[in-house]
Amino acid sequence: MSLRRKLLFTLALTAFLSVAAVAWIISALVRRSFEHNNEERTVALVEQFRRDFARQGEDVARRIGTIASGDASTRMALSLSHASPDYGAFLNEARAIAENQQLDFLEFVDGQGTILSSAQWPAKFGYKDTQAIRATSKDAFLKREELPDGAALGVFAIRQVNVGDRLLFVLGGRRLDRDFLLRLEPPPGMRTMLYQNLESGFSPTLLINSSGLMQHADPVAPLIRQVQQRTREITALVHWSSNTADDESVDAIPLTGLDHELLGILLVGDSRRPYVESRRQIRTAALLGSAVGVALAILLSGWAATRVTRPVEQLAQAARQVAKGDWNTQVTVTSADELGDLAESFNRMTTELLQQKEQLVQSERVAAWRELARRLAHELKNPLFPLQLTVENLLRARQQSPEQFEEIFRESSSTLLAEIANLKTIISRFSEFSRMPQPQFQRVQLNEVLESVSRLFQAQLRTPDRAAIECRLELAEGMPPIAADPELLHRAFSNLVLNAMDAMPQGGTLTFRTRHEGEWAVLEVADTGTGLTPEECERLFTPYYTNKAHGTGLGLAIVQSIISDHGGRISVRSEAGSGATFVIELPGNTDKLPADQVAAATS
Amino acid sequence: MKHRGFPLLVTVSLVLAVVAGAATRPHYGGTLHVGLRTAPTSLDPNRAESVASENLFHLIFDTLVTLDDQGRPLPALATAWQAESGSQRWQFSLRREITFPDGTPLTPEVVVTSLRAANPTWKVFATNDAVVIERDSPEPDLPPELALPRNNIVKREGGKIAGTGPFVITQWDPGRKLVLAARDDYWGGRPFLDAIEVELGKNFREQMVSFDLGKAQVIEVAPEQARRVATGGERIETSPPIELLALVFNHDPQSVADSKQRDALSLSIDRRLLNSVVMQDGGEPAGNLLPNWMTGYGFLFPVDPNLTRAQQERAEVPETTAWNLGFDANDPIERVLAERIVLNARDAGLRLQLATGPSDVRLVRVPLTSLDAQIALTELTASLGLPQVKIKGNSVDDLYTAESALLKSQRVIPLLHLRTAGAVSKTVRNWSRARDGAWRLPDVWLAAERP
Repeated sequence: MSLRRKLLFTLALTAFLSVAAVAWIISALVRRSFEHNNEERTVALVEQFRRDFARQGEDVARRIGTIASGDASTRMALSLSHASPDYGAFLNEARAIAENQQLDFLEFVDGQGTILSSAQWPAKFGYKDTQAIRATSKDAFLKREELPDGAALGVFAIRQVNVGDRLLFVLGGRRLDRDFLLRLEPPPGMRTMLYQNLESGFSPTLLINSSGLMQHADPVAPLIRQVQQRTREITALVHWSSNTADDESVDAIPLTGLDHELLGILLVGDSRRPYVESRRQIRTAALLGSAVGVALAILLSGWAATRVTRPVEQLAQAARQVAKGDWNTQVTVTSADELGDLAESFNRMTTELLQQKEQLVQSERVAAWRELARRLAHELKNPLFPLQLTVENLLRARQQSPEQFEEIFRESSSTLLAEIANLKTIISRFSEFSRMPQPQFQRVQLNEVLESVSRLFQAQLRTPDRAAIECRLELAEGMPPIAADPELLHRAFSNLVLNAMDAMPQGGTLTFRTRHEGEWAVLEVADTGTGLTPEECERLFTPYYTNKAHGTGLGLAIVQSIISDHGGRISVRSEAGSGATFVIELPGNTDKLPADQVAAATS
Repeated sequence: MKHRGFPLLVTVSLVLAVVAGAATRPHYGGTLHVGLRTAPTSLDPNRAESVASENLFHLIFDTLVTLDDQGRPLPALATAWQAESGSQRWQFSLRREITFPDGTPLTPEVVVTSLRAANPTWKVFATNDAVVIERDSPEPDLPPELALPRNNIVKREGGKIAGTGPFVITQWDPGRKLVLAARDDYWGGRPFLDAIEVELGKNFREQMVSFDLGKAQVIEVAPEQARRVATGGERIETSPPIELLALVFNHDPQSVADSKQRDALSLSIDRRLLNSVVMQDGGEPAGNLLPNWMTGYGFLFPVDPNLTRAQQERAEVPETTAWNLGFDANDPIERVLAERIVLNARDAGLRLQLATGPSDVRLVRVPLTSLDAQIALTELTASLGLPQVKIKGNSVDDLYTAESALLKSQRVIPLLHLRTAGAVSKTVRNWSRARDGAWRLPDVWLAAERP
């Protein structure tokens, strides 16, 4: 990744994280604020419910008091003096009075708990309701009331009427139903539900809200069961649907009767929709802010990075050119800051490097000439010395033994010719090294080149005048073709074979191995000869270095030159006495193929 | 002074006598306004809803025979009748010169057509001045049966109906209003009233409002309201108990346990409280189907609850059946009755619950349609959907035996015999009603309103 991209990424990430952190903090603050408000609202509504409940209870108690002090109650109390009350006279009395007083329940009960008249269940005259007359408080209370079609909950009050020694109870109240919930008037976002605990366990048909029976009551069932078990106030989050905006924080308040039995559960629900929507808006704003921030960060950091990285990139480009050998490269100094100093230093460096290079080239050239002169002198001195001896011997024979001159001449002539041939060989090798051609790339199957080399040297490896060398081919199948000059490769491999033959005067095994590693073809030429010391390994490819008595030291230098011209690498691994292995790595070089061979090379 | 005071006393007495006579003397004219709960869409006596419209049929139609308060047949359109072949063939001689409002005479053919329509299984044919009815079996009670409302003689022409009754239809708004005009040529004499306007489909409360406002002179009053209305100073006319309130099971007992539960239910119900409290003494507790005034043996059937026995019967049942009790949910008094029955049943350990839909047992109110006990019982069983009752003879014993057998089938549990009641304005004079509760409006005349 480039420096500019790194800078861009870093700045953009910083902007995004900053906005995200701010959004998270705001969201957390909103949540805390909402929950705080929710608690306050819930407490307020519960208080409001308690006040409403008390107010309705007071209203019920007041109305019951009015009824108890009315003529109807007095008449009924007076009728109790008869042995059997005239229920018929009062059958519809309670209902009419209840309608007049806007009560849902009203019963007149004598001192023994016998119902004289009932508004909610007129047919129940003569039956007992002893539970009601046990209530001594003047306050309203919750009561479960049995009705013909089931039971119901109500806020009740009871008053006692005494006429002489006759005792009459007036018991009445209002139903805890949807109308009751409607009168609670919760603030926006909140609502009330009522579970009438008229059966054991949970029954969805007993849960109502201000609209009536709730259609979807199951989500609140666990909360109701908890309150049924513990009979205490519990708050829980209720998920009405998969949409979190429908969630509600529900406070369940147990409603108990005279005997502290659980009669109902008031559920105060506070919608989390405002919170969820606020959080959603914050997230949206944060995402938008992040996007804008990131975009701005990209633009700004792009601009900044350009200003910062452009001189660096110029320096990098200049460095690459220097690496390629363009030592004259200079960069433009555009600022007076640290980057400007760096550019000036670079320019000084390249200038000095150029000077040092020229000095080095000069030195190397001198050294090369010296080495060449030394090698030439050495190589030429060897054949020249026999030549000199032979000529001197001829001269001496002509002067001292003319009769044997002919014979000596013939012998000397052959010697002279041999040495002259040797001189020619030496000269031709030097000439060959100096005339090393540039490779002509074409599509080459490396295995085929090796097989060709192997066949060429079969005869020499098996010649009777020396110990036999076994040639083994361990060539990988499916080697991809590479772009190379087959002639040069043939020459390089031949040199390696010759080198191996020299290393195995006592015979041995010569092994060719090939494999491919990615786009690289790898070739190993291994012998089982005397091996090389580490020092020899280091100097092996130095021109004119040889460890052989008759070598020019150019064979492996030529090999390295060929491999290098192909963009490849050559190395050697060896231990003394355990043979040597030359490893040649050649690139695919498909980009160096002529256009008409590219397709074939890549296929 | 002594001699002069006597003539003065005589003179004053004569004047008072003349004034009083003028106030009580019948006179013709006026329109009687009547309110009714029933809202018939047809005035045809053969229609299923005709029972509730019986008071109207008396005004428009006549039967061949009518019954007196003892249930004995009296001549009406038929002046005489004669049984032949052991009461299997009856011949009824028609009254002469009877006409319909359009002037067409009543002929035996018209009577035959009308009776055939009402009784498809009868063989009815006309002779010169008579109508002959043949039954498959001896039918000694045929004359009382001809007094049933469905056997009113109706002439049907072009979708219109006409009768020979004392009034003729002048306006008919089905289910809402009926206006009748007196027929001057009625064979029984012109009614005193010129017209009768009947407001139909008015509930008891609406009728009472009309009555209180003076818009109606004769209205129906719910039996349970009669006592209260009378206490308010209104003139209340009640009939003998002529309506049966009963529980009717949909099928015969399916097992001994079922039978015992029905026994327990019957024993658990406090009929006296139902009557005195819920119905405000608007009837009588009933242990059998026909009222005691009609049969004389009603006291033989116990009406008091016996909760101990009911619980014993219940205890002999391993597992009780839950019964749905059907009732008319639109009738508040029926709801109270049904609720009380449910409470009584619970006291006996029975499982009975109110139901407005399908039910196992129904609370029903069925009016008696005849003053003839046997006919009334037969018609009652048919109305209740019970198997046809078989009465061997005409004696009270035969009737008692038949009714006892019917009750033993445990398809029906009688509860009360209810009266019908009506409020009648003080301006309505000569008001009377038959023992079966039918109003005798043709005899009524209207006194002038006092300022």
